[in-house]
Amino acid sequence: MSLQAIFAILLCKALRLFSRLVHRGGTAMPGRFALKLCPNLLALLAKDVKSVAITGTNGKTTSARMVEEAFAEKGLTYFANRSGANLISGITTEFVMNCSLTGRMRKEYAVIECDEAAARTVFGQLKPQVVLVTNLFRDQLDRYGEVTHTLENIREALKGAPEALLCLNADCSLTASLAEDLPNRAVFFGVDGSAVPARAKPEISDATHCIRCKTEYEYDYISYGHLGGFRCPKCGYRRPRADYAVTDITGLRADGSTAVMRIRGEKKLVDVNLPAMYNLYNAAGAVAAVTEMGLGADTAIQALARFKCGFGRMEDFALGRGGAKMMLVKNPAGCNQVIEFLGTVKERFSLVVCLNDRSADGTDVSWIWDADFEGLTALSGRLETLVVSGDRAEDMRVRIKYAGIPDSRIRTERDYGKLVDWMARQEKPVYIMPTYTAMLELRQEVIKRCGGQDFWV
Amino acid sequence: MELKICHMYPDVLNLYGDRGDIICLSQRLRWRGIQVQVSRLPIGQSARLAGFDLVFIGGGQDFEQQVLLDDLHRGKDREIRAAVEDGLPFLAICGGYQMLGNYYETYDGQKCDFIGAVDLYTVGSKKRMIGNYKFQCSPEAGGSLVVGFENHSGKTWLGSGVRPLGKVLAGFGNNGEDGTEGAHYKNVFGTYSHGPLLPKNPAFCDHLLLTALTRKYGAAELEPLDDQAELRAHDEMAARL
Repeated sequence: MSLQAIFAILLCKALRLFSRLVHRGGTAMPGRFALKLCPNLLALLAKDVKSVAITGTNGKTTSARMVEEAFAEKGLTYFANRSGANLISGITTEFVMNCSLTGRMRKEYAVIECDEAAARTVFGQLKPQVVLVTNLFRDQLDRYGEVTHTLENIREALKGAPEALLCLNADCSLTASLAEDLPNRAVFFGVDGSAVPARAKPEISDATHCIRCKTEYEYDYISYGHLGGFRCPKCGYRRPRADYAVTDITGLRADGSTAVMRIRGEKKLVDVNLPAMYNLYNAAGAVAAVTEMGLGADTAIQALARFKCGFGRMEDFALGRGGAKMMLVKNPAGCNQVIEFLGTVKERFSLVVCLNDRSADGTDVSWIWDADFEGLTALSGRLETLVVSGDRAEDMRVRIKYAGIPDSRIRTERDYGKLVDWMARQEKPVYIMPTYTAMLELRQEVIKRCGGQDFWV
Repeated sequence: MELKICHMYPDVLNLYGDRGDIICLSQRLRWRGIQVQVSRLPIGQSARLAGFDLVFIGGGQDFEQQVLLDDLHRGKDREIRAAVEDGLPFLAICGGYQMLGNYYETYDGQKCDFIGAVDLYTVGSKKRMIGNYKFQCSPEAGGSLVVGFENHSGKTWLGSGVRPLGKVLAGFGNNGEDGTEGAHYKNVFGTYSHGPLLPKNPAFCDHLLLTALTRKYGAAELEPLDDQAELRAHDEMAARL
């Protein structure tokens, strides 16, 4: 280590200690200053660590927790950027917190979640062994721009890590295209047509036209959004065969799923400790990443049954008689999956939708009109109360009204203290759909009331 | 009474929640007992525009732009020009708005021919104009205060025969320079406003519906609706800006 790097490490550790003493947090800021002092600090530290990097629009955090559980299962020494600090600054902070004062890494492995726009700055330094790309959907257009722009960002990022093995979503025409014109080896994961009930093409798709020749795709089946068995009738670009595939879904329950997975030709029964179809994609991606890291598919499968995600992703809280479940929503694709999941809830329930428009949420809330809140009308017989909250509660209220739920059935409650009081009094389960910053705040308030793991730990 | 709405290019011009405008138009008609029929007109299909009472065109991403232009230049452009001159009401948002104009010139000087249904043109700029914004519609366009969300890098300039839809009160509008927002030509309402535009601006939505109903039935009146929720969302954003 150069003197410059050692100074940067010292500074980073001191800033982190200081910020923890005066307030919570300090996930990104120390790394930011350290990188100013030593721009290649991450590269210096990362060269002695074997890492899995996870990027894509939806499912990064959940996939990372699945991979992490497998590492723990195997008894590996590892660390992860758990707190959601997924830009180069936060990732660097995490590396520094896991090295000695002279820059010797104390852990052998790392599980790194990386923001899809930040991947360009991260991958070249991190040089991960495996890169898992979960999917690409339209997300926060004011920040990321068009989805093809995000795709190109990731493609550029991967040029910095030509040795990395790619685990790509076979069903996402955007993600799967990364295997082309990059030297990296790639494997694919996905959900086969055999596992998916026939469904009509959704009204809104984020990728209708071929990424190579701009001809409209044809589909053998659609699992959700633009994911499924796509093929281009003109140039022949099509869904690649998935090396890690969900071939049959035997149970989609409110508390988890059971499915058959074909793992490199061998069929295995898997239990996933989280509900909803989109988590089967996360599971298949995690199995791919763990297996390709050489840890064995069985380790990955055990991890799926045991892992807990928390942090607002289908997270349960002992609040009220029926409990509360927090389901982070960030964009139309994820939101639709959550609404579809609510369809599997058999009993009566209440729903809280919390919409913020701060920079981490996206300042443009128009995406709620691309999500199918109309799906709620089919559930309205089981819906006790519907509450809207957050900085843009009124926009959410209008959206739900136009989805066909009478305005008289909707309540606005902006005060999180009162909202949690109300939830605590409920007899029936409460389902909460918050955007990112609403989740952070509301979760703090919920934890104050009933306990749970603190974000900053 | 019945309105037939044509949703043009819903397959590619569907970014930023603009289908919320279609949902809003439809619901506000249904709630008044007026029938509504929405027809999707995707790329590759043709339909006689004269058979519709209102045409909606949303905003889209650049990726499919060429596919779209190829389709337009296969005859839809002529038909749109004729329908506009005939007074068919159009609501066109962002990319859909630009597309009605004469051309788009990229920042580095490449010119792309649009359909020339409304005398306006757009020039790309380096800086993207993004954010919540508000504008006051001209009296001819109903005069209401509109709040929306704009996200464009193109700067639009209006020809002499075209009036702006309104005056910018906060944000950028057409070009961030002359204080105008959108275009109003015959019964064409063009604007940069996503948000989506109509749900939070019920007065503007009703002005549009009234324009279409009056054209079809000679005279029309709209029963007032309970707009408290819509107006709270509207006023909250208007007060923030």
